[in-house]
Parts: sequence; structure tokens; C-alpha cells
Amino acid sequence: MSSFAYALQTTIGRKILTGLTGIFLTLFLIAHLSGNLSLLIPDGGEAFNRYAEFLHDLGPLLWIAEIILVILFLTHAYIGISIYLNKKKARPVNYSYYKSQGGPSKQNFASRSMLISGSIILLFVILHVMHFKYHLFSPETYMTSYDGQEMVDLAKHVEVAFLNPWIVAAYSFVMILIGVHLKHGVWSAFISLGAKNPKITPVLYTVGGVVAILLAAGFLLLPLYIYINGGLS
Amino acid sequence: MEVADKSTFKWDSKIPTGPLTEKWKTHKNNVKLVNPSNKRKFNIIVVGTGLAGAAAAASLGELGYNVKAFCIQDSARRAHSIAAQGGINAAKNYQNDGDSIWRLFYDTIKGGDYRSREANVYRLAEVSNNIIDQCVAQGVPFAREYGGTLDNRSFGGAQVSRTFYARGQTGQQLLLGAYSALMKTVHSGKVEVRTREEMLDLVTVDGTAKGIISRNLVTGKIERHAADAVLLCTGGYGNVFYLSTNAKNSNVTAAWRCYRKGALFGNPSFTQIHPTCIPVSGEYQSKLTLMSESLRNDGRVWVPKAKGDKRPPNQIPEEERDYYLERIYPSFGNLVPRDVASRNAKNVCDEGRGVGESGLAVYLDFADAIQRDGLKAIQDRYGNLFEMYQKITDENPYEVPMRIYPAVHYTMGGLWVDYNLMTTVPGLFALGEANFSDHGANRLGASALMQGLADGYFVIPYTIGNYLVEVTPGEIDTDHEAFVEAEQKITAELEQLLNIKGSKTILDFHRKLGKIMWDKVGMSRDEEGLKEAIAEISALRKEYWTDVFVPGQQATYNKYLEYAMRVADFLELGELMARDALERPESCGGHFREESKTPEGEAKRDDENYTHVSAWEFTGVDSAPVHHREDLVFENVKLTQRSYK
Amino acid sequence: MSTQDNISVNLKVWRQDGPNDKGRFEDYSLKDVNTHMSFLEMLDVLNENLMKEKKTPIEFDHDCREGICGSCNLVINGIAHGPEARTAACQLHMRHFKDGETITIEPWRATAFPVIKDLVVDRNAFDRIMSAGGYVTVATGNAPDANALPISKVHADSAMDYAICIGCGACVASCPNSSAALFTGAKIAQLSKLPQGEPERKQRVKSMVEQMEKEGFGDCSNFGECEAVCPVGISISAIATMRTEYVKAMFS
Repeated sequence: MSSFAYALQTTIGRKILTGLTGIFLTLFLIAHLSGNLSLLIPDGGEAFNRYAEFLHDLGPLLWIAEIILVILFLTHAYIGISIYLNKKKARPVNYSYYKSQGGPSKQNFASRSMLISGSIILLFVILHVMHFKYHLFSPETYMTSYDGQEMVDLAKHVEVAFLNPWIVAAYSFVMILIGVHLKHGVWSAFISLGAKNPKITPVLYTVGGVVAILLAAGFLLLPLYIYINGGLS
Repeated sequence: MEVADKSTFKWDSKIPTGPLTEKWKTHKNNVKLVNPSNKRKFNIIVVGTGLAGAAAAASLGELGYNVKAFCIQDSARRAHSIAAQGGINAAKNYQNDGDSIWRLFYDTIKGGDYRSREANVYRLAEVSNNIIDQCVAQGVPFAREYGGTLDNRSFGGAQVSRTFYARGQTGQQLLLGAYSALMKTVHSGKVEVRTREEMLDLVTVDGTAKGIISRNLVTGKIERHAADAVLLCTGGYGNVFYLSTNAKNSNVTAAWRCYRKGALFGNPSFTQIHPTCIPVSGEYQSKLTLMSESLRNDGRVWVPKAKGDKRPPNQIPEEERDYYLERIYPSFGNLVPRDVASRNAKNVCDEGRGVGESGLAVYLDFADAIQRDGLKAIQDRYGNLFEMYQKITDENPYEVPMRIYPAVHYTMGGLWVDYNLMTTVPGLFALGEANFSDHGANRLGASALMQGLADGYFVIPYTIGNYLVEVTPGEIDTDHEAFVEAEQKITAELEQLLNIKGSKTILDFHRKLGKIMWDKVGMSRDEEGLKEAIAEISALRKEYWTDVFVPGQQATYNKYLEYAMRVADFLELGELMARDALERPESCGGHFREESKTPEGEAKRDDENYTHVSAWEFTGVDSAPVHHREDLVFENVKLTQRSYK
Repeated sequence: MSTQDNISVNLKVWRQDGPNDKGRFEDYSLKDVNTHMSFLEMLDVLNENLMKEKKTPIEFDHDCREGICGSCNLVINGIAHGPEARTAACQLHMRHFKDGETITIEPWRATAFPVIKDLVVDRNAFDRIMSAGGYVTVATGNAPDANALPISKVHADSAMDYAICIGCGACVASCPNSSAALFTGAKIAQLSKLPQGEPERKQRVKSMVEQMEKEGFGDCSNFGECEAVCPVGISISAIATMRTEYVKAMFS
């Protein structure tokens, strides 16, 4: 095994990979969210649909982007699971009573539940892609046309979905989980990538929390708005 | 008291001839060298991994010897050197304040009240500078000035700033430096560190050290280890007093077993009692915690003038307080040396003026200093010490005066060694606090670390070769009858302890011994008390061997069995200490005899009759040891009486 | 925090006869515990009582009892070294417990720290990590003058912040993943701050990390629990430093 390949498999290498993939996934979420928010423009979903069509038209470029995204996801998830398995191996007999000391400790609901929140998010992503990309849960594919150009009316799909209270509830739950995952994840990624100045790390922890809340709130906005408003406009 | 016929005992302190300043240099040029290709044929055992042991094991390993280092802790890094707070002296003169090797030598020999060898102390001062260089090169993060050079402070009343320090954890940092050097030689395969393994006997063949018997503290297995030389680096024996600032597991056993095998024990009664420790709070107390001596720079020591005054300190008006150190010693005041401060604290408590629940404490009051310099200044200077005090006592020393009391801290006595650090058993060497050599009757602050590292890094690597060239490596193996015999003896001894199944715990005996030692062989000693102590300890020892309860089995991890062996040896050592104190009717350094004081009640030496080292030879557990003396010759310093008035 | 002078406590203590024994909890109750006692002195008293009943005392590691040797290793009420922050178990006093409280005492639990007996564990894994590279190679007698190489006070102080590690292993014990990242990182960080550490900088981090992996410690997930229980408060910036040092060593 080359020393580089070895390095990637050490606890340090794995953590750096987790941090890197996590940051790219977070950047993806930000891009995704800004696309979503275009739905709030009161144009009957035109901007959103055109954006989706633009992405679709990228063709092979989109595939490459998607493949990269899948690799990021799987790497991130694989390492997460292996950390969990390693943890079981590193302490086969658990404490009968375990408590956090508090203070500088970052142990909390968020950090202790990374595996669970991560697993649920992974499951969600699969369903989410099947839902909106392949329309597996829709009876038909809605179409629309702008300036004579026909395209999928993705906005309509979204609207229909988020008028269903069950879907809104499920989405909201997962979006909150994403926030929880990011609360520890963003900060942890900074530390994993070497942020070490004790004056800056507390700031990074706050930044992580803010990013988590903003992203979760941003993603929650759409389903809640559509559901409460009874539709897009 | 029997006094041996000196002519029947052959010993030689092997001090090189020539002028004092040239002795070590000349000696280094004259010692015989072991050929590099032969070094690997020699096996050396190092017992203890504190400053002396770790430094010696690492240095000898680097030279190419095969070294086995033993420690009773679970890691070499936990030896008690780690707890030293203050600092380490060196004659670097970085502060340009007139320091020199000569001054460090002079201060050390004077501080020891002229009961140590000129040649040894001079060598110590000479190599002190190399120690600092070595430690810095290892990455020891000493305190520094903003310009990047090393910082120094003055310590223990020295008139120059020669103490190097790393916050309040100098011992820890120096030990971790030596430990890292040791771990490096472990990595290179030259040293094997055997943790949780305790030396229980020295194996001698024809009077020469050839190995040790040890007990694996995890499995209880008794093991034999052969070697061409054995280095004892096992520290001091302050725990003979039960309560001391030593770590709980510090003990005399290894050194004591060597004494029983023929090594003379030098000045066993020379004990240092540190004046500023946190007082005992109850019967359950297991150890004492030292507060840095630097506190006396700003704190004022006092007790109420009236006996039995139980008012809280803040309600005792100024005119009813006795700042006794300032009263008795107007020129030095609260900064008198350790032994003087300790003795006076004892005196006022004996008068019934001690404070606190037990009446065994005096106040160390910072109210005036806080008023004078401000709370912030005091916080900056002593913040961490105040915090530690509050953690232990639950009292806030910024508001209520601290309570302090003296505690046993260091033992100057130890195995007698010659200039080469070899004991009277050929092949057996003693380094650091385990030997008697450099501090005379009293040790100066920041000198213990210096001695441990000097012996380990810079003395033994030269002097051991001089012995080894005369030895055929690997001559004796562990099948030799001496090993068989020693192993059987130890196994039997352990079994015997386990089979007593008496009614008292080991701790009961240790506490009793400690009380006898503290009351009669402690800060002040007199003939009557010492004689009583000898009788009482002897009786206690007999009781121990018939009525102690040692739990568990031999072949398991069993800390109380370890403890039982150690207390058994303390019960013999205590008696020897009392005998040694009795044999020396003068007062010197930490040894204060009520019979020998000035009209003002201060210690009075008797240079005419007692300028010597007492070295004791074992003759049997219940028979009186033989007293030998090594006369000390002072060619370079003039003996003066200390005065702090 | 108790204001009484004497309290009673119930103890639930892990007892394990040897490395291969399964182990179990045993309950003890102790009356008239003086609140000025240290936690270890309380255990001393319990052991004295046990021995007076001819029972086998509880084994626990301890030595200096002033918070510097790093021997003591008790998980007290679920927290390594107990409830007081920045306090080793030996410096913890009984006044921090309530009258009638039940106190659970367990050993460090980690594959890399196998139990020897009761509360005593084997921490030699730490020695092996140190032996892999936690040093500066300088043979005795080869050192230049101590002031030949100035080191800024900032760097020296920062090195000291990491050098104060007492090697107790609370970081591992408290880590949900049993990671030794803080211990290993502290030594790497200390020597990375000093010019003396420079020549072996890359090899050191590689070897020490490699050894840490071999010993079977878990991954660091940046919980920061290690810093919270560390009796000397070593910052997890040590871990971040170890990672950047590692990356630098791999890419150059």
C-alpha cells in the first residue's frame, strides 16, 4: 500500500476526507437551496423551471457533476459508518453510566447523533431523487412551455407534493435533521481540516451553528410556505 | 552504641587528587574506557525511572550498553520526580549577576551545612550547565524572556538568579525530557523498560552485584535478571514518616535490600522538612501537599500570642498576633531557610499556639501583601498556588490566611557512594536521591533536579566504564545458585506476609511508625526520644510480623502486598534513622539535636567531632548495625556557623 | 456541593478479578465520610474497612495524589476524573458529593487500555506511541548552549501548553470513540512549536500516528470531550495541529 493510500485510511486521513466531502456537500446544499428559493419569485414557477431545464440541458456535464456528488455522498457515508464500527471495536464494554463533563465539550444531541441523522439523510436523498428527478411517486409528469419551449413543470411537482401534509411533515423532519447534522458537521469539518487557533475555533463553532440554522430554515421555508399558502401563489 | 573498628573495613571514596576545579576533568581523562564493540556485551540494570534513572538508562543505551530499566509505575513517566515544582539550578550566569560554578558549589556546600564532599559538590555545580543545554535540546519548554532567551528566578534565598523553570512544573518537564530520551532508546532497541515491576532483592556473587530479583506487579511472578552492573535510582524514603510530600508508592525497599546485601547506608537520619505544606486535616489523610516556598516572599507567618486562642484569624487583632519569624529573625524574617522555618513552626505549635482544628498549623497571611501590591499582583504571582490551596482546603486564601505546617519532603541520606557513584558493593551504583552524596545535611531549593540529572546524564556514563573494564561480561547467569537462593528467600518472605493474617492493617502499622518517626526522629531530636524510638520501632516491627493482615494472593495484582513489603522495610529503616540521629549529638542542617544549640536556641554544629559522613553496615535485622565514618576534608571552603538573625 | 462535615455515600464499584474475568459491579456503603477527604482517601477508608472484614480490597492506580503523575484513572459518575473540571481524581474532594449520593466508579474503558484488575488498566499503549517518535533525537552531551537558539516567548509558552499533558488517558476514557488524538496531538503540537523539533518533524507525526492506529484507539469525531475532562485543560487545537502536521508530512 502506498503511503498516501495508507494515510487516507488512518483516523486522520478519514477525518480529513469526511471534512472535505462534508464541506462540498454543504456547498452543494447552498447551491440547491438558492435554486429552490427561486420558486418564491411570483412568476408561476418560470424561473425555477428554466433553472431546472438549464441544468438538464448540461447533459454530460450534469452527469459528471452527479457522479461526483454520488461519490462525495458515498465516501462521506462510508467513513461515517466505519467510524461507528471502529468505535464499537475500540470500546467493546461500555460504561454503565456515562455523562459529558460539559464546558468546552461539544458533546450534545447533534454530535452524538451524526450516524443516525446521517443515515436518515442518506435514505431521504435516495427517496428525494426518486421523487423529483424520476417522478416515481407522481401519477403523471407535468409539462409546461415558455416562449414555445416545452419543459417539465417541476414547480408544479413541488407544489403538488407540498400540499400533501404527510410529505410536508416528512420533509420538515429531515430538514431539521440536516440542520442538526450540520450543527456539528460544519464546525467539525473546520477542525478536521486544521483550524486550531483557540481564538478562532469558538467563532467557527458559532458559524457552524448559524450555517446549520440558515440552511435548515431555508429548506423548510418552501414546503411550509406552499402548505400554509395552499399553493405557490 | 557499638562503634566498629574502622581498620577492618576497606573503603575508599576515590576522590581524585589535584585542585578542586580540575578533579572531574582529570578524572574523566583517567577513567578507563570500554571499547564500543564491547559495550554491547554488557548488561546493565537500572532500577527506577525518575530523573536519575531515566537519564542514566537513556545515556547508557545511547552508548551501546544493553539496558533494562525497571519501574513500579505503569509508565516510566510517572516517577515522583514529576512532582517537583520550583526549578533547577545551573551556574549559567545568563543574568550577568555574578554567578559562577564556584558560587553554586559554595552555596550548595554551605546550604548542606558542611556535611558533604567538596569534590562531589563541585562536580555537580560544574555539570549543571550541561544539564540545561541537554534539556533545552530535548525540547523542554523552559520559561523564556520576550527576546527568546531563557528566564531565571531566584530561589531558596540565593543571592543570584540561577533557577531555570517551566511554570510550576519543572520536575514534570525535565522528567518528560528524560523519559522521551528513554523512549527513543527503547525504540532503537537498546533499552527495555519493564513497567510495573519491582526490585525486591539484589543478587550478589562473591560480594559483587550481579543482578536483581523482581516481582512482576501484574502477575505476581518473581523474576531473575542478571547484569554486569546494577544502578539504583529509586529516590528517597520520606514515606517512612507515613505522611510526607512523597508519592504514595515511593519507598526504600530496593535501597534497603542493597543495604542488607552489604551496601553501607550514609547519613540515614538527614531528612528535609519543608515548612510550607497544607496541614493535616484528619486521621484519614494519606499524603501531604507542598505549597511552593516562594509563598514566603510575600506571606507573613503568624500565630496568636495567647495559647488556645480559637477565634477566627480575622477576629484576632494585630497586637494579639505573634509574627514570630519576624520577631526572632529580624534580618531574614519570613525568608529564613527551610529547616529554621519548620522548627519554629513546630515550637509555637508545641507551645499550644497552633491554629486550625488540630492546632498543628500556623497562618501564612497575604493580607498585607494584597493591601500593599494589590490583589492583581498577588494573583499574578501565586494564582495557581492559591487555586490549589482552595481546591484542597475549600478556603479562599485571598480572604482567610492560609494554614501551613511543615512536612517531610526529601531525604538527603541514602546509600553511601564513592566519587564514581559506586556503593560499597562492587557493581552496585546509586544515583539521585537514592544516594547520600551531594546535599550534606540540608538540600537547597532547586538542587534535587540538578543532582538527579547530573548523576544520570553526566556522571555515570563516564564512571561506570571504569568498573566494567574489570568485569567479564555475562559471567553469571540467572541459573546461578545466588539467584536461586535469592528468589526462594523473596518468595518465602511474601508467603510469610500473606500467611500472618493478623488483626491490624498495614496502614495501622505505617501510621504508628510515622507517628514515632515524626515525634521522635522528626524536626527536633534528643537522646531520650531517640532511644525510645529505637525501642518502640523494634517492638512495632515484631508486632508487624505477627499481627499484620495482608490481603489477597501472591500471584495476582496486589497493591497491598507491595505495600506490606515496603512497610516491612520502613520498619527496619526507621530504627536505623534513629540510631544515626542518636550517634550524631550535634545539630546540622535538617538534623536538630536539642542538646546542641546556641543560647538563642539555634542549631549548633560540632565541627571538631562530627565533620564526617556516618555510614552504616547491616549486621542483621535485630542486631545493631556497625557505624563507620568517612571524614570530610575541607580544603577550599571555610566552615562557618549559619546565622539568620 | 455538601456543606456538612460528614456524609454517607453508596458506592457502585467495578470489580474484575483479572484481564479475563467478565467483571461486575459491587455495592458498598460508607458512613461518616469527612467532606475534606479526597476521593482516593475515601477509597482508602473503604479498603481499610474491607480488610478489617478480611475481604479483598479494591485495586486502583494512584501515586503522587497531587494531580501531576497521571496515575489515577477513575470514571466517577460517568465522567473521567469525576464531576470537577480540570481536576484529576486524586484532587477531587468529597465535599463535591451529596449526603446519601450513589457514586458509580468504573475503570477507563478502551480496547487499548485492557483492565488488569478492578479499576487498574494497562496504559502501555501510550508509552509505545511516545517511543514511536515523541522525542527529539539528541544524544547526551551533544547539546549546544541553551541560549544559542532563541525561541520566542509566545512559542515557548504555547509549547508548554501542550507539554503539560500528564498522560493519564482521561481523553481516551471520555471520548465516545476512545480516540487517543489529544494525547498524541499534544506531543506533536509541543514539538512542532519548537525549533528543536524541526529536523524530525515529518517522521515524528507519521510514526506516532501510525503507532496510534496500531494500538486500536478509535477515530476522533471532534466531540471535544477530551479537552473538557483533561485535568490540565489541553486544547483540542492539539488535534487540529496533528492533522495539519500530518498532511504536511504526507505532501512533501
